[in-house]
Amino acid sequence: MKLAGLKSVDGAHEESIWAAAWAPAADHRPTALLLTGALDETVRAWRPDDLAAASPPARGHALGVLSLAAHPAGVIAAAVSLDSYIRVFDVDSGASVATLDAPPSEVWGVQFHPKGVALAAAGGGSGSVKLWDTEKWQPIASLPVPRPEGARPDKTGSGKFVLSVAWSPDGKLLACGSMDGTIAVYDAVRMKFLHHLEGHHMPVRSMVFSPVDPHVLFTGCDDSHIHIYDAKEKGLIGAMSGHASWVLSIDVSPDGMAVATGSSDRTVRLWDINARASVQTMSNHSDQVWAVAFRPPGGEGVRAGRLASASDDKSISLYDYS
Amino acid sequence: MASVYIPVQGTEEEVRVALDHLPQDASDILDILKAEQAPLHLWLIIAREYFKQGKIEQFRQILEEGSGPEIDEYYAEVKYERIAILNALGAFHTFFGKAERAPQKEAHFKEATQYYNRASRIDETEPSTWIGKGQLCVAKGELQMASDSFKIVLDEDGDNFPALLGQASVYFLMGDVEQQHKKALECYRNSLDLYKRALRAYTDCPPAVRLGIAFCRYKLGQLDRARQAFERVLQLDPENVDALVALAIMDLQTNEASGIRRGMEKMGRAFEIYPYCTLALNHLANHYFFTGQHFVVEQLTETALSSSNHGLLKSQSYYNLARSYHSKGDIETAGRYYMASVKEINKPQDFVLPFVGLGQIHLKFGDYKRSLASFEKVLEVHPENCESLKAIGNIYTNLGENDKAIETFKKVTRIDPKDHQAFVELGELLVESDWAAAMEYLKTARSLLKKASEKIPVELLNGIGLLYFEKAEFELAEQSFKEALGDGIWVSMMDGSVGRSMVSWSVQYRDQTFFHQLEEQMLVELPCDKVTTLFNYARLLEELQDTVKASLLYRLIIFKYPDYIDAYLRLAAIAKGKNNIQLSIELIGDALKINSKYPNALSMLGSLELQSDENWLTAKERFRDAKDATGGKDPYSLLQLGNWNYFAANRPEKKASKFEATHREKAKELFLNVLKQNQSNMFAANGIGILHAEKAQWDIAKELFTQVHEAASGSIFVQVPDVWINLAHIYFAQGLFQQAVKTYQNCLRKFFYNTDATILLYLARTHYEAEQWQECRNSLLRAIHLAPSNYLLRFNVGVSMQKFSASTLQKTKRTADEVRATVSELENAIRVFSLLSVASTYHSHGFDERKIETHVEYCKHLLDAAKVHRDAAEQAEQQTKQRLEVTRQIALADEARRRAEEQRKFQLERRKQEDELKQVMQQEQHFERVKEQWKHSSNSAGKRKDRSKHDDEDGESGKRRRKGGKRRKDQKTKMQYEEEEEDQYRNEPEEDDYATMTVGDRSGKAPDHLLAAAGLEDSDAEDETGHPQSAIERKRRSAWSESDDDEPARRPAEPSPRADDPSE
Repeated sequence: MKLAGLKSVDGAHEESIWAAAWAPAADHRPTALLLTGALDETVRAWRPDDLAAASPPARGHALGVLSLAAHPAGVIAAAVSLDSYIRVFDVDSGASVATLDAPPSEVWGVQFHPKGVALAAAGGGSGSVKLWDTEKWQPIASLPVPRPEGARPDKTGSGKFVLSVAWSPDGKLLACGSMDGTIAVYDAVRMKFLHHLEGHHMPVRSMVFSPVDPHVLFTGCDDSHIHIYDAKEKGLIGAMSGHASWVLSIDVSPDGMAVATGSSDRTVRLWDINARASVQTMSNHSDQVWAVAFRPPGGEGVRAGRLASASDDKSISLYDYS
Repeated sequence: MASVYIPVQGTEEEVRVALDHLPQDASDILDILKAEQAPLHLWLIIAREYFKQGKIEQFRQILEEGSGPEIDEYYAEVKYERIAILNALGAFHTFFGKAERAPQKEAHFKEATQYYNRASRIDETEPSTWIGKGQLCVAKGELQMASDSFKIVLDEDGDNFPALLGQASVYFLMGDVEQQHKKALECYRNSLDLYKRALRAYTDCPPAVRLGIAFCRYKLGQLDRARQAFERVLQLDPENVDALVALAIMDLQTNEASGIRRGMEKMGRAFEIYPYCTLALNHLANHYFFTGQHFVVEQLTETALSSSNHGLLKSQSYYNLARSYHSKGDIETAGRYYMASVKEINKPQDFVLPFVGLGQIHLKFGDYKRSLASFEKVLEVHPENCESLKAIGNIYTNLGENDKAIETFKKVTRIDPKDHQAFVELGELLVESDWAAAMEYLKTARSLLKKASEKIPVELLNGIGLLYFEKAEFELAEQSFKEALGDGIWVSMMDGSVGRSMVSWSVQYRDQTFFHQLEEQMLVELPCDKVTTLFNYARLLEELQDTVKASLLYRLIIFKYPDYIDAYLRLAAIAKGKNNIQLSIELIGDALKINSKYPNALSMLGSLELQSDENWLTAKERFRDAKDATGGKDPYSLLQLGNWNYFAANRPEKKASKFEATHREKAKELFLNVLKQNQSNMFAANGIGILHAEKAQWDIAKELFTQVHEAASGSIFVQVPDVWINLAHIYFAQGLFQQAVKTYQNCLRKFFYNTDATILLYLARTHYEAEQWQECRNSLLRAIHLAPSNYLLRFNVGVSMQKFSASTLQKTKRTADEVRATVSELENAIRVFSLLSVASTYHSHGFDERKIETHVEYCKHLLDAAKVHRDAAEQAEQQTKQRLEVTRQIALADEARRRAEEQRKFQLERRKQEDELKQVMQQEQHFERVKEQWKHSSNSAGKRKDRSKHDDEDGESGKRRRKGGKRRKDQKTKMQYEEEEEDQYRNEPEEDDYATMTVGDRSGKAPDHLLAAAGLEDSDAEDETGHPQSAIERKRRSAWSESDDDEPARRPAEPSPRADDPSE
């Protein structure tokens, strides 16, 4: 299990890059595309192997792009900007499909349902997860994060700022992470809150379910730790430390053996899940690494594992994962 | 059955006295002896018998009676017997004088002298008297006089056996006393000769005489012959203890296992024969000390002590006893016996070992002065004794006299360049002052040990590891620590084979069930000499960010050593780092249960309370307790109190300004106090800088901050990001925005991995003041990205966009792009403000909804204006585009014309040439014709030709004129455009005036009101109050981390326990 740098593009955006996501290969397009979003208010698309620009930058993502998610079919993607709009667009043409918002709440992280039937968004200060259907783009649910038992009353009101969401690969569980470290798990079928996952006390900015074990959730937190939870059984089953600063992004490899993390300590780390240990540290970025993303399997000739990372240093990097 | 018969005076009868039935009361016998006027030799026999039976008093009674004046008178003629009695008494007193201590000793010798003198008065030449005198002199240590006495006898009778023996022993003793080796040997040789003579003179002499020979040979280094002599003694007298012991000692001295065994066997036999031989007892005790049978040692030495009066031997016995107690750890008893041992010694040269022991005991008790004195005694005898020198070095270390200590240890390394301990000590002494030298010494020690293939002590590797740690050489540090720790449970913890299942408790630091479970499966051990290293290793792991493993190690330490407070505090710090404040407080509580006065724990608790906002008042109590616990000497607690006062002064609560000033004064006083104790305390200097800055004394503050800033860029353990921030604040306050920005940015990058939203806010504010709107906006957006729940940032970003728009609209010249950007920014601002406004119904983030509304309204108004501008600008842009198109076409036309012209010119030229040619030809023709005319004489044809040429020219100019007309038309259209444009221009300024008017109005008078109403001023004010407050918060934070980080740095300075090791 290792990473090997393939290509980096400096100045991929004019400003700090905050989001990256792979749009999977689609019927009309044989290869996946890497999407990146930045403070420069653009979303750009890149070819999967040489990181050549695939289309001119799509503008209008006002105040900067916070989060990106691609629909599993690879045709559309959603970008969240600091102006609290979710702009759903066609990956290839850049044409707008829908613009969503959930006033008065902000929107932060977004994720499509693994089957693509719904879009979940972290509802920021509303302390909830918002869901839309992907056909008519109508809101279908708002799942509030209950206050954990015995928690002290939160005077500032900023505690339950929801930052991140994740669907389990079977679509049965939905989890969200907040500024105060609270992680809430929902039954995504019955739209019911299940329980909290304990252990973090700082912002959980990124989380992802294991593709091989639909109960296992990996979380990255500002406490610079990575936690491994059994989201179903409510148990912390692993913790890994090594980053010198916040863990900003986390993704799990398609084979489910490794997780990659990006941190404000300017590094990308690869972790062996079974050994619960860091196996590699990439230091090619010179500023916070806001996004790491493994390329989804599928498409023409893409046996090889690929990891992409995007950073505040305006660069994106592509690695071979093997 | 031996008896004596006392003849009854005047009869033939005799009284039979059975010698083994002598009456208890000597008076009975005396009565008989006196009454019957028994011959004096009978008196002597009976007295001697009493003596043999140990009835000393009776012996004395008889002989004293027998030497009384009556006897002298009555037996005046019986010279020999009277002398014999006196000599017996003299010998008796000599013997006791030898055994007793002063003053009885002196009394006995005096008595003895008197008796001998009386004997001499009876008969000067009696050899036995001289011999007795000689022995008395020997006892008194007057060897020369003794020798003289014996010589007198020997001069008379060269074979006088007792005199020979006496003289021999005198020489022997002289040899012992003699300082010079050669002379001493001479004495022994003389002694040996005399013993030989004695043996020749009296071949049947007791075997003890041969002992003399043996000892002399031994002293002369003729060990084999000495051994033969001793063995000979043993043949004659198998129970001769002296010979046995001597042989045993010789065996022991071979230093071979078999020799020692034989020696001990002999010692044992000697002990069985005569259990009171001190020498044998001492040796036996010595042996059993090394075999660790302390009970036997005590018994043996106690017997030895009770059976000897010889000072040196007693001293050795006490020493054995003391050593035994010492090694058992009963150092108080050991100390007493060492003292006893020392008291038996006249000068340290005789027996130096108890001084070593005593020194060690004093050292243990912390009585450095007396310890030093003891070791210096040792040095008097052995000036190059490394062990004592090292002990002295340790004493100096403990007394804080590092220079002397270093000097001492350096001396050790000079004497013995292979003494690794000294190198270790030197390394540890230099840890703080001279990193490179310390490293060098420790490495030397390590390589010495490696060469000797000895086990490298944990402390040494720990020290090397810490030095690397300090220089941030983490890999090397880790290697050292790992080597020091060796194999153990921690190895399996590190590689993950143990502890992977214990994740659930990697968060619950206080839950120790895992170790209990583990202990059921395997042995969980942690040797006490490795705890410190393990702790340091955990600190290193923390530094390497592997807090999961670090916390495991801390908990292992706590599991095995529940009183290791620092481990609790580190866990508390880790919990705090993960923002688990509740757990952190509980862990500190655990620490305080162990020691409620532990200043570090109190300080940490105080810091946590200060942050929690609810308990900030109790925080002061903690700091005060911490200060009291350290006797006010700990700068850290003083700093914290200072910070607390500063914090209290800046509390937003309503209070009299008087209190604010007192708090500030108090803070300053505390900071100055710290500086008084420690001039280079950066945190105190920083604090004072802040207080100056508060009073707007920028220059002083700047000076202070700059100095701290420079000083801080050294060690990895001291990081003072606050001083960067404070410096930047000063730049900001002085309007040096460029420098402020740079300093904020450097600080963010260097210390916070660009993750601190507050510093980004400072940065944005600086950009705002510098009117760099875009930078301001982006800084704020970054801050929001980092701290999304901070609504203040959102408000500020709205304000910055509003300001940007307003300022763009004020510009007299701007592009359509700029105006477009303005419009979209205004739309964004409105979006931000309206989101805030709606959100404020949900959250109480401290904004007045009305204010936000005003902002929204204002932005909307601006937007309307901006839209007009945009439309206008876009129109203008359109027109500019058209104009550009026209210009382009003109340019194209010009180009075409130019080409046409060229073409024409070219053609003209060609035609001209053709014409010329034609002309030439024509002329030629003409000439021909003229010639012909001349021949035929005619002129008219030439004129016609000329005219046709002119016509040609005319045609050309007509063409040109057409072209010129076209140009005029072009010019006209252009003029039209220009006119139109001019209109456009004319219109624009008017509009502009209006716009600037309105904008100016808004940014002039109304904005003031508006801004105030909208809370712009407020936001500034918030920023302002925000800055020093968070700076102090930062200060606290880093002060906290400073204290934590200080620990490993301090650790090497702790004395290693090795120096006190008793069994050395």
